[in-house]
Amino acid sequence: MKKKIKKYFKVWWLLTKNSFMSALSNRLGSFFFLLGKLIRFFIYMLFIVFLLKGTNSLAGYNLNQTMFFYLTFNLVDIISQFLFREVYRFRPQIIEGSFDLVLSKPINALFKSLLGGADLLDLFTIPPLIIALIFVSRGLNPSIFSVVLYILLIFNSLIIAASFHIFVLGLGIVTLEIDHTVMIYRDLANLGRFPIDIYKEPLKGVITFIIPIGTMMTLPAKTFMNLVSFNVVIMSFVVGGLFLFLSIKFWNFALTKYSSASS
Amino acid sequence: MKKYLQVLKITLQQEFAYRLNFIMWRVRNVMQVVLMFFLWSSVFSDPTKQFFGYDRTKILTYVFGILVIKAIVFSSRTIELSGIISDGTLGIYLLKPINFFKYWFTADMASKILNLSFSLVETAILFILLKPEIYFQSNPIYLLLFLLSLIIAVLLFFVTIFLINMFSFWAPEVGWALPFLFIVIVGDFLSGSVFPLDIFPRTFQNIFYSLPFPYLVFFPLQIYLGKISIPTTINGIVISLGWLIIFGVLVKYVWGKGLKKFSAEGI
Repeated sequence: MKKKIKKYFKVWWLLTKNSFMSALSNRLGSFFFLLGKLIRFFIYMLFIVFLLKGTNSLAGYNLNQTMFFYLTFNLVDIISQFLFREVYRFRPQIIEGSFDLVLSKPINALFKSLLGGADLLDLFTIPPLIIALIFVSRGLNPSIFSVVLYILLIFNSLIIAASFHIFVLGLGIVTLEIDHTVMIYRDLANLGRFPIDIYKEPLKGVITFIIPIGTMMTLPAKTFMNLVSFNVVIMSFVVGGLFLFLSIKFWNFALTKYSSASS
Repeated sequence: MKKYLQVLKITLQQEFAYRLNFIMWRVRNVMQVVLMFFLWSSVFSDPTKQFFGYDRTKILTYVFGILVIKAIVFSSRTIELSGIISDGTLGIYLLKPINFFKYWFTADMASKILNLSFSLVETAILFILLKPEIYFQSNPIYLLLFLLSLIIAVLLFFVTIFLINMFSFWAPEVGWALPFLFIVIVGDFLSGSVFPLDIFPRTFQNIFYSLPFPYLVFFPLQIYLGKISIPTTINGIVISLGWLIIFGVLVKYVWGKGLKKFSAEGI
């Protein structure tokens, strides 16, 4: 098992290096891409600041708390993009039939399709984000226990994000008609940019447990602020595990539908 | 005229060829509106309160207005221009007995017709589901000025997107980058299509108003909502017309320079 993990880490590192070198070969493009993301991040931040300055609260949360929700959303979103960038390049492989080459390699096809091409450009934005989170969190006075739960819930969020990406991969095989399923996931995830308390039932219930955007984006921050019971935290881990299980089942089903067209 | 009608028909057929894809694209637009609807509903949970000069009815009208106006202004096929220049297929278009600008403008119109039709249906569905309070403008002068600002917005977007896509003449490998930045910065924010620009302090607003971008979405919506006086509206229309002329002249100039640079590589 240890040997297997070592092998997969080695493969991951190699693929990540290749992906980074490919990004570096197009420096100007990468620069614009990163710039666009940073601008979007800062404009939304400004929006929250000016909005909350005018209204004092959003769904009962003050500026500091809303900002913490926003930064947590970005942390999960950016780490997901860093880890699962290969998903964005998956559909052309199915259309061209070059996915055959992935299937015939002695590594897990899901591992290659999900994690085989991490985006180091996204990685650079994570440390400043963590610093901003620490800075904002100082005003929230969390307990050590809340901080530990928050970190564990961020891992749970990444499991849910991985599951979403696996669903996207599976859909890419099952139907060739949709070419931006991953962008639909991004739009869904964007619903968690602000605390999900802004939504009304039944939408709030749907995005908390059925499509667990709330569990992924809002719950870690709410736990950090001591605003949820321990039972809900446990429930969210169950949701994460179940979602991962279902996504892998779906991936296995989708593989049986792969027709190797155009290859 | 007849050939442009054919272009319109063909473009509509092309859009329909990938029906599910198109529907998914529309779903994405609706989701953005849903997010903003709930955000502002939460802010204006007390219907008697006013923030940033909006009451609940006006802000929700703004959110729904975004869906329709974005369909009219931002639906475009001209965004493909950068790819056509980069891969050399521009050469094929140049050989055709058709005016290149009119061709793309007509293709844009087809895209706008389709997107507008869908956005109206979506608005009706969301209206039934969410039951928002909507502001109806009844002053004919405001309605006329709103229509005029919308026409200018469509033309302004066309020349702007044409201009930035021509960056591909000089940097074909990153030709997508400027349109990408434009969509992120202008399409999402500076046009007011995510949130109204008047939540920002006065200084910011003055800077925004001197740029061409608020005239794409924010300004027409301000007129519709009757939030600005008639003289301010006319002033805004003059500024946006000024930008339209400047960008129009620039498009012609850069197009001429670009064609000299173009070598039809890649065909």
